[in-house]
Amino acid sequence: MNKNFQEMFAKAKQEKRGSLIGFATGMDPNYKTSKKILIEMSKHCGAVEVGIPFNTSTSDSATIMDANMRAIKSGANTEKIFKLIKEVKSEIKNNVPFLIMTYMNPVYRYSIKKFAKKCKTSNVDGLIIVDSNNNSPEDKELSRELKKINVAYVKLVAPTNDEAFIKETLKKCSSWIYVVSYAGLTGSKQVNLGNVKKISKLIRKNSKIPIGVGFGIRTKSDVSKVIKIADATIVGSGIVDIVGKNIKNHNLTKKIGSYLKNLKKGLNK
Amino acid sequence: MKIPPFKEINPPNKNGYWINHKTKETYGGQYISPLLIPNLQKVEKCFEKAINDKKFMRELEEKLLTFIGVNTPILRSTELENLIGGQKKVGKIYLKRTDLHHDSSHKPVNSFSSCYMAKHIFKAKKIICETGASMHSRSVAAACAMLKMDCEVHIGAVDAEKVSLNKDISELYGAKIVVVNESTKSLLPAMASALRSWQSNPDAMYVVGSVAGPSPYPRMVRTWASVIGRIAKQQFKQMTGKVPSTLFCVCGGGSNLMSMAYPLLKDKTEIFAVESGGEGIHTGRHGATILGGSKMGILLGFKSKVVMKSAQIAESLTEASGLDFAAVGPEVAYLNDIGRIKFRSTTDIEAKKTFLMCCEKLGIVPAIEACYVINAALKEIKKRKNPRENHLIHLCGSGESNVARMIKFKRENE
Repeated sequence: MNKNFQEMFAKAKQEKRGSLIGFATGMDPNYKTSKKILIEMSKHCGAVEVGIPFNTSTSDSATIMDANMRAIKSGANTEKIFKLIKEVKSEIKNNVPFLIMTYMNPVYRYSIKKFAKKCKTSNVDGLIIVDSNNNSPEDKELSRELKKINVAYVKLVAPTNDEAFIKETLKKCSSWIYVVSYAGLTGSKQVNLGNVKKISKLIRKNSKIPIGVGFGIRTKSDVSKVIKIADATIVGSGIVDIVGKNIKNHNLTKKIGSYLKNLKKGLNK
Repeated sequence: MKIPPFKEINPPNKNGYWINHKTKETYGGQYISPLLIPNLQKVEKCFEKAINDKKFMRELEEKLLTFIGVNTPILRSTELENLIGGQKKVGKIYLKRTDLHHDSSHKPVNSFSSCYMAKHIFKAKKIICETGASMHSRSVAAACAMLKMDCEVHIGAVDAEKVSLNKDISELYGAKIVVVNESTKSLLPAMASALRSWQSNPDAMYVVGSVAGPSPYPRMVRTWASVIGRIAKQQFKQMTGKVPSTLFCVCGGGSNLMSMAYPLLKDKTEIFAVESGGEGIHTGRHGATILGGSKMGILLGFKSKVVMKSAQIAESLTEASGLDFAAVGPEVAYLNDIGRIKFRSTTDIEAKKTFLMCCEKLGIVPAIEACYVINAALKEIKKRKNPRENHLIHLCGSGESNVARMIKFKRENE
């Protein structure tokens, strides 16, 4: 397990609470503001997930798609997002783990080996690839490369997946597993606790890996319900929505801070 | 009439990849959210069941013959031969008239087959599809009307305006139209939008219009569509005693190319695919993938040749909505890389002039997409100067929905 994630889950366990993982698209709306947003998020979240935007994403709702397009317009690319994370991590001077979330094309085009190395040198702790397939040659290479350098490879499982698929996914997954709570797009529906319970049971049956739940978690009450079942909860659209509605607002980071502070109140087990 | 049976001659491996054994490059695959993996497995299972179910295939083929009218003629065009020197200099030119299908393009063969499978084997109540020139949506919507299924069409905002007639016909057939305002507002974001919608409606079936998308779609679409090429090959042999010397098809994603080329892959026919050169490939404003500086990339569930800017999918620009796609299907990219298919391009202006020529000299209103291939074919055939050759061009659609833009072009240039 990646050391920073190990510490995050251990500390949360000791404090009898769950962990909050916040997502924002890197360089949305621009490099400078995004840096402030990520620093603010690191003060409140157990881990921070940074999106490398992709203009042909197949799993994101309009909120995240708009953020992707804003980031691309501001010049976002893989190289700059690595630089952004490296700078943020050196400024925050703590061990809050940072993950990259993206699609396979940006990783594949960058070169898988080079991408993995760059994760290490930029202090990235983990990687999530939405459209990575367990049977693809890229997934096999990526999983191998990340393992060598102890960067977490966080894989997704969905309510439509059966136990065989979950078992296959668990073989490649490291540090924690991402449970998609419903069949739909990011942030488009309410979290589905029935699904979460069902998939968590299947995961627990086969592994002790920590479980993070995402999709449809926006409020303190959502966080509180999810944390009763899982180890961590991922909040994305809620944060990105604040960015989208407050691009020119000087209080943008403050607004994100108070939103996250409130969510944290739901983390107690 | 009996449709010649399908023979698998270039199958992908069990994970949906075509492999170039010389370079070890892989094409295809299934790059998609895990949410859709069970659905794709179900589509694949249903497809295998369908093609091995004799009763299903017999009923489907009867519908293809009687509802779609798949036995369209091959027309010898002395008019085209005469434009470039006559038969004695360039050989004989033939046009495969899939513009005469029900709903006026090559698309209904795959669309109807996929919907028929969705209804009887997948047991879906709703179909989701994307569309560019709306030929696909029009034929999916017609199939859904006939088969009593709901239909949801995703179309880019630019295309919705360009080909409004086909879009309106889709709506008349009862389809719900979702206009996509993202990114290039064309076929690519429409397909991404359809895939996103499928994730929210896993009980529906997604019907892809090109030989693209995650496995099993590239193989399934070309297998259904190859009915066209199987019939054409048989017709051509009956007419000339042999297979064509050359085959010319236009290529956006590659569905009409593969519909004709697939049954000829193991024959001696030289196969040419024609891309849209837009305003000229050198300008960067074009719809050409293979000739337009593509690299291997991963998008919309598959790995293939893609035109990109950095890691983002580039904008493709062309008059023809059906060719407005920054990638080609994985099997097409593979066949190009192993040298089985050669690529040529035609600019928008050349295609528009060819449109007017076809109206005036052939008495045919072709889809603008078909004009790219007719233009490139005439250039290539003229260059070959071989009177012993028989050339086959795929006239893949009718141009009613292009009329408004073309009459404007004609009047502006008179």
